[in-house]
Amino acid sequence: MKVGPKSAFRVLAVAGAIFVGALGASLAEAKTFRINVVGDPAQMDPITYSEIVAGRILRAMYQGFTTIDDSGRNVPALAEKWEPLATGPGFRFHLRKGVKFHSGREFTAKDVKYTFEELLRPGAKGGLNSTYLKVVVGADEMKKGTAKEISGVKIVDDQTIDIQFTKMDVLFPIYPFYFMDSGIVAEQGADWMTKVSAGTGPFKFSKWQRGASVDLVAHPGYWGGAPKVDGLSFKIVPNADTAISQYEAGELDFVDVYAAAMRRVLRDDRFKNDIIRVPRAQSTYLAMNQNLYAPFKDKRVREAITIAIDRPAMVKGLYGGAAFVLNGVVTPGMPGFNPDLPEIKYDPERAKKLMAEAGYPGGKGLPPIDIASTEAFKDEITYYANQFNRVLGMPVTVKVVERATHIRAMNAGEVAFFPWGWTADYTDAAYYLSQMWYGPSPYNRGRWKNADYDKLIEEALTVADDAKRFALYHKAEKILLDDFGMAPVPMSAVVGLKKPNVKNFTITPFGFGEFARVEIN
Amino acid sequence: MFRYFLRRLAGLTPVLGAAIVVTFLAIRALPGDPVGVMLSDHSADVAMATRLRAEYGLDRPLPEQFLRYVWDIFTGNFGLSFRYVHRPVWEVLRDSLLISPLLALGALALALPIGVLLGVQAALHRNTMRDTAIIVSLVAGLSIPNFGIATFLVYLFSVKMNLLPVAGWGQFKQAILPIVVLALPSAAYIARLTRTFMLEVLQQDFIRTARAKGLAERLVVYRHALGNTLVPLSTSAGIMFGGLLSNTVVVETIFNIPGLGRLAIDSIFARDYPVAMAVVILFVLFYALINLAVDLFYALIDPRVRQEIAA
Repeated sequence: MKVGPKSAFRVLAVAGAIFVGALGASLAEAKTFRINVVGDPAQMDPITYSEIVAGRILRAMYQGFTTIDDSGRNVPALAEKWEPLATGPGFRFHLRKGVKFHSGREFTAKDVKYTFEELLRPGAKGGLNSTYLKVVVGADEMKKGTAKEISGVKIVDDQTIDIQFTKMDVLFPIYPFYFMDSGIVAEQGADWMTKVSAGTGPFKFSKWQRGASVDLVAHPGYWGGAPKVDGLSFKIVPNADTAISQYEAGELDFVDVYAAAMRRVLRDDRFKNDIIRVPRAQSTYLAMNQNLYAPFKDKRVREAITIAIDRPAMVKGLYGGAAFVLNGVVTPGMPGFNPDLPEIKYDPERAKKLMAEAGYPGGKGLPPIDIASTEAFKDEITYYANQFNRVLGMPVTVKVVERATHIRAMNAGEVAFFPWGWTADYTDAAYYLSQMWYGPSPYNRGRWKNADYDKLIEEALTVADDAKRFALYHKAEKILLDDFGMAPVPMSAVVGLKKPNVKNFTITPFGFGEFARVEIN
Repeated sequence: MFRYFLRRLAGLTPVLGAAIVVTFLAIRALPGDPVGVMLSDHSADVAMATRLRAEYGLDRPLPEQFLRYVWDIFTGNFGLSFRYVHRPVWEVLRDSLLISPLLALGALALALPIGVLLGVQAALHRNTMRDTAIIVSLVAGLSIPNFGIATFLVYLFSVKMNLLPVAGWGQFKQAILPIVVLALPSAAYIARLTRTFMLEVLQQDFIRTARAKGLAERLVVYRHALGNTLVPLSTSAGIMFGGLLSNTVVVETIFNIPGLGRLAIDSIFARDYPVAMAVVILFVLFYALINLAVDLFYALIDPRVRQEIAA
């Protein structure tokens, strides 16, 4: 066969035509609320999910006993009310009547028990939420495979379920369980989560195009009333600036502004009516591990470091306003926050004096130390290193480490000096206080320990009354702050942009607000 | 000819084998641990970490992991993705597979006619203002990095004029800007090549003969002269297609397109070893096949090459 130049062009023309045809399929978008997420979820399974993106999307489809409302309060969802068991530690839950799953089946106590068992079933890869069940009687046996069901969970009737604990856990009703339809596997097979959703939430799964979007459609039988929009589309947009451009071009109705674009957005006058800015439910601190750097053993050194940080200057300069000053452990907006904590003032003179008293005048005699963190904290650690060097004469070197490696080292207590944050997965100050600074916690990464603190936390977790429990939190928090066990540092902001035609939706310290009532005009 | 094809195809095996070994070792040499990335801030959950490690075979010695991986390739599923829970790598790749070659092909289809046309014009009007103007724009097209052009075009056509989407994939109009951005440097490159080839061919005796026998200038230029530049041009187009394919990594990231290039980046950041390796191996395969196709195409259009192969 002889192929001349003409046929070569013809081949190219045909290739071009095929190409155009292949791209032709287009998607008509009805009244769909479009919002961005930073990456693909790892999965759409309410049992095994463990990361933020999946959690954010699943929240539109699945619910637990309670939910977080837009003002950050825990309100009843699938449980209407609950009371402590008369027979021992535990709760009796009265479930909401007339709740329908996405399949049309009714939600009953059987589904609660099923969800708990799925979380614990050996080999079923129960996700991080399985840890919330550790106080339930029989959970251990189920997890080890020596029992076929959880002995401590008793179905009283369709709408009532008793859950017995080995010791009281007053936070149990607010743990983020996602109750699922116990009939779904029989109907759709083990791979059901790639095809449908099995929750009770206002939206149900439609499709997931990897790298492009996760699309949900309205669940007309939702117990809280049918949604006002036809669907939700979570657009997968990894780049901060792309998300802003898409919002400007009208391709997104609401944008979750990532850290990289926050300064720019906050400074831009065009966005000033669209901006929502709230403190993130993430407790931030500068850890000083006393086991690894001898001078940290001296409380005066820890105090000097704490007051050598100019927090308002950081918020303004380093973060361009996309941050808030934090004076303790518990973040504003979190139940258990103490609004009366005194401001930690920047006091370089006193800091210098304290260092001299501790035997390190002008930093003399201090061994060198690294301040370590990940790429994302590079600016912060550079600021700290410079500040401690300038104010205290401390020989601090900046060290940037790969994230997973850094997390492992922090968990192992191998990092002496680092800023980090801890993001709340449920709405009670205990999330911070009992995990970050409680002695036995594996996430006590700075390894600060205090027996009185630990006792107060243990006691608080048995007190159901919010006000009384919060008083114990405040006492414990004060012990930590008075000992300068760590230095609170500015906390980041959650920033969202909302188009004027979007109603009843917001972004909260905990992430996306409730999707049930969102409207687009 | 067919035997030549088979021989070349067999020649790909050591290339792919080497690619598998190198990517396997290179990706595992990266700092970071996939289970750590999976658990992120909760990696102190030792029981969970141990279980995941066993499930994905990461607790086995490296040689065993390698053999398992090779076995997974031969059984066709490339193993399980680390990032997408319980999904075979093949399923993760499937939707992205055609996107990058499609973008590259579209860019080539756009770049070729534009480039050839500009090149011919420059050659015909050699050393005039028109030639200079074309050359200056070519240098600009080649020197401005594609992310710069992309940002400018997005700002102009999407944000300001609201004519085209900023990013995404699934609609035809979402492919326009990415293809244009990909095509521009290639068009400039083709134009420069065409100009050089044309200038050379136009000096040849057979062109003088064509003109002497009174052929219309249009035929002289477009049939005789241009026809002869297509042989070297097709070789360059093949190589360029390979280059376009690797440029899709950048363009897919800018325009948020779920193609193989972005998947490669995402999977490396997520320490999703099986997916990252599969993407690299696929890219190697694409390159090898393109080179093969170019050689075959060359043989098809040039009788001299055909004779060489036969001999």
